[in-house]
Amino acid sequence: MLLEYLPIAVLLILALLLAGIVIALGHMFGPRHPTERKSMPYESGMRPIGPGTRRMPVHFYLVAVLFILFDIEVMFFLPWAVIYKKLGVFGLVEMLIFIAILGVGYVYVWKMGALEWE
Amino acid sequence: MNYYIDPLTLVTFFPVIGIVVLLFLRADQKVHARWVALITSLITFGISLAILAQFNPANPDLQMVVNIPWIQVAGWNISYFMGVDGLSILLILLTTLLTSLSILSTWTAVQDRVKEFMIFFLFLEMGMLGVFLAQDLFLFYVFWEFTLVPMYMLIGIWGGKRRIYAAIKFFLYTMAGSILMLLAILWLGIYQDTFNVPELAAMGGIPPNLQFWLFLAFGAAFAIKVPMWPLHSWLPDAHVEAPTAGSVILAGVLLKMGTYGFLRFNLQLFPIASVKLAPWVAALAVIGILYGAAVSYAQKDVKKLVAYSSVSHLGFVMLGLFALNSQGVQGGILQMINHGISTGALFLIVGMLYERRHTRDMDAFGGLWKVMPIYGALTLIVVLSSMGLPGLNGFVGEFAILLGSWGAGLPGGVLGSPWFTALAALGIILAAVYLLYMFQKLFLGPVTKEENRVLSDINWREILTLAPLIILIFWIGLYPNPFLNLMSASVDQLLNAMQTAAVAGIP
Amino acid sequence: MSLNDLLVNLNLIMPITILTAWACVLLLVDLFIPKERKGITALLAALGLLVALALVISRAGVATSAFNGMIMIDGFATFMSVIFLFSGLAGIAVAYDYLIRSGIERGEYYVLLLFSIVGMMLMAAAADLIMVFLALELLSIPLYVLAGIAVPRPDSEEAALKYFLLGAFASGFFLYGTALVYGATGSTALTEIVSATTSGGVNLSFLVIGAGLILVGLGFKVAVVPFHMWTPDVYQGAPSSVTAFMAVGAKAAGFAALLRIFVLAFPPLAMDLTPVLWALAAFTMIIGNVIAIAQRNIKRMLAYSSIAHAGYIMMALVPYGQGNVAADTVASALFYLLAYMLTSFAAWAVVIALEHNMGEGRDTDGLSLEDYSGLGQKQPALAAAMTVAMLSFIGIPPTLGFVGKFYLLRTVIEGGFPGLALIGLLTSLVSAYYYLRVVVYMYMRDGEPVVRREPWLYFTALATAVGVVVLSIFSEPLFNWASQAVLKLI
Repeated sequence: MLLEYLPIAVLLILALLLAGIVIALGHMFGPRHPTERKSMPYESGMRPIGPGTRRMPVHFYLVAVLFILFDIEVMFFLPWAVIYKKLGVFGLVEMLIFIAILGVGYVYVWKMGALEWE
Repeated sequence: MNYYIDPLTLVTFFPVIGIVVLLFLRADQKVHARWVALITSLITFGISLAILAQFNPANPDLQMVVNIPWIQVAGWNISYFMGVDGLSILLILLTTLLTSLSILSTWTAVQDRVKEFMIFFLFLEMGMLGVFLAQDLFLFYVFWEFTLVPMYMLIGIWGGKRRIYAAIKFFLYTMAGSILMLLAILWLGIYQDTFNVPELAAMGGIPPNLQFWLFLAFGAAFAIKVPMWPLHSWLPDAHVEAPTAGSVILAGVLLKMGTYGFLRFNLQLFPIASVKLAPWVAALAVIGILYGAAVSYAQKDVKKLVAYSSVSHLGFVMLGLFALNSQGVQGGILQMINHGISTGALFLIVGMLYERRHTRDMDAFGGLWKVMPIYGALTLIVVLSSMGLPGLNGFVGEFAILLGSWGAGLPGGVLGSPWFTALAALGIILAAVYLLYMFQKLFLGPVTKEENRVLSDINWREILTLAPLIILIFWIGLYPNPFLNLMSASVDQLLNAMQTAAVAGIP
Repeated sequence: MSLNDLLVNLNLIMPITILTAWACVLLLVDLFIPKERKGITALLAALGLLVALALVISRAGVATSAFNGMIMIDGFATFMSVIFLFSGLAGIAVAYDYLIRSGIERGEYYVLLLFSIVGMMLMAAAADLIMVFLALELLSIPLYVLAGIAVPRPDSEEAALKYFLLGAFASGFFLYGTALVYGATGSTALTEIVSATTSGGVNLSFLVIGAGLILVGLGFKVAVVPFHMWTPDVYQGAPSSVTAFMAVGAKAAGFAALLRIFVLAFPPLAMDLTPVLWALAAFTMIIGNVIAIAQRNIKRMLAYSSIAHAGYIMMALVPYGQGNVAADTVASALFYLLAYMLTSFAAWAVVIALEHNMGEGRDTDGLSLEDYSGLGQKQPALAAAMTVAMLSFIGIPPTLGFVGKFYLLRTVIEGGFPGLALIGLLTSLVSAYYYLRVVVYMYMRDGEPVVRREPWLYFTALATAVGVVVLSIFSEPLFNWASQAVLKLI
């Protein structure tokens, strides 16, 4: 039974080896000319000044949570779509119920003002 | 549809009618509340007299039986089963009479929350009557536990200084015993498949070693209630802290629930264990007699003295019951009634004194005979009755008990030793000592305290409260036959049944 | 499954369907109800519960399964549903005024209550471990929110967080147990678990560990020792109306699941599980009652008392594996849950009537025992209701608590555990001490209790108290009903 997993194991080992070899090669042969700018944490040039944790509007979190919530629930469409033909009208009705429940949540959130920025 | 209400249901639940009326009164209608309660209790007493009139003393079985299926599902066999026989008829009368007299005694003594007082009092009457009439163990237990609540309230609300402590102690002590009884009841219900007492008694068939445990489980509940030495320590607290009317009912009726329980349940249901354990119970009873008497003598508080004397007197009752012969059991039952009358009267008397002087310390009195002659005379009668003077009620009961225990103490008897009788007789002498000592301290000698000179003698209402008890004291003392006749048939049947069961059970 | 099957199945669980739809609709409707008139939401929620109750009762006697055996509609589910719906109604009645005066009135309160009840009803009907888990979450999550609805009151927030964390923890246990049971038997359906077990070839140690973990998970929900640590803090911190509902509903639902799972699926494991259940019941009764003695805060005291009562009900579960007693196990537990529900609401309604905000010239919150001083004289009706509740909790006749305890003890003794019955009785004696202390304060001490006079609170307190007494005297129909609610495989 475990034998079935052998190819995966081989792939895993190969991937690890390859990554290790490439990094090691680059380290050995690559030219290095460090400058001040290149050694900074962000090579994009942004200066890391000030406290690491900055205050930002709590609203971000609310919107983010709501986004994730609806996003994940919408993900259920995917498996449903795969077997949609098999399920037929029953599937359609089920999905409509699901969307209706989502809709209730959406209307609630909207009406409660969670989506307004100000 | 039959609208006829049987007399036993009527007498038990009639107080509820008074309670309903009381609920509609305002809190400040004190006089109304008293009258409603008094009239209700008098009618209840009247109903119990009607039951007595219907009662046939020659019939040893339960009479006026009402047996209605109550909970008959899921393998339960519980009925609303009430009946009265020679063992309980006198206790019914005692209960209704003492309730009326107690309510009369509260006329001026209880001024605070009269309405609630009367409600609890009538509830208490209902519970006590139910205990004496129930013939189904479940029903019995319901009434038995129910009496705790109103008594708890009476002690806790209208009691003395340490009333809350006394009330909780009373409740927890009694409940502790009841718990074991409940286990035994459940056992009987499951393995004998019925809660019906006569059926259980007739069925028999409980193996002796199991009877032993069931006897102890029931006995624990009853022994605490009686109370038998060494389970008596709740009693002085409860008695001393309870209001007068509460003490009267507590001593007069509630304690009898314990002795009645032994008689009705332990002797009937567990005959073999009863016979085997009789000497042990009698030994505890005799210890109780002597201990109660000795401790009574040491008391300065009159009420406490009377309370401890109850321990002593109920020792006699237990000794009589567990002599397991006709004289002993009849004497025991009669002594229950006597104790209810005498001690009830003593508590009323102490209550009257307390109402006037707000103390019960013996040293605070002296020479009261000169100030309150009527009161003194009545007290003397009650004291003499309580110590068993021939011609008064106490003598008849105690004499029958001693006779019975002597008979049982002869070789071959259940007690097997005459020492029980000898020591119990010593208890009678001790009773004379502490009661006369009390009487002397209160009434004789010169008036030593100024405030006692102005005490008013008892009034008509108070005389009326005591009069029925005084009459009964003489009646039972001079002509006890009517009372003994009521119970003799049932007692003989009980003893015969026990005899058969015990002979059949002991190999 | 075809569309028609769907409709048929939804029809089979009509009360649940209706309640779910109604809760969704109410969530939207509430958005358009102005803030000062949230009473309408309460009314509409109660209406939904009443409709569901009528449907449940009209369908009593039906015994069938729905959704491919995921759900069982039987006497058991019906009985429990009635308990849940009644607690919902009582929960709304005690909450309405309380929320207003605490300044935490929100329409969502009632909607969440409805969702929680849907979860409870599903829990009682669930015949598959996955379904039980879903129902468990559905009933718990609204309760987590409700516990914290008095935000930003710190104790309410603490209660919500504590409840959530421990609830999630318990769910984890339950799920792990389910996984192990599935691993051992190859199914999560109760019927198939038992048939797989009896036909042999099952890894019994996995199954026993799985059953034990399920017991732990549900033990958290019903608050048996040693999984009770959250209870006092949560009960005390949550708004009292939520506590009242939670103390009854969540506990009853937990027991519904325990009863159904154990009696249907795990009788073959009785040898291993009975000692565990015995110990749980004994420790719960002892510890719950003993710690309750030390409490001076009435909510905390009732919290420990609810732990103790979980122990009493647990007693009935101990002999669940004995075929001839199993019916009594279920019936007596149901009967006691009903008694517990009525008694609890009588007590909580009084507690809520006395609770008030500090400040405004008052230096108490009405929750300590001292605040009950003099209640017997100032508010005789409420005091009487509270007294009845206390007596019923102790088990003094004539109350439903006594009859219920009698039935439980009979089951235990019949099952052959007189020692456990004795522990139950002795702990009742202990409990008498702290329950009577409330009576002492109400009747035997003088004081000026601050009482909120509100008709719904009075109604709830008095109606349940009268019910406790009257139903104890005329209890035969209840016995009948409870004993018909036996659990059978369909």
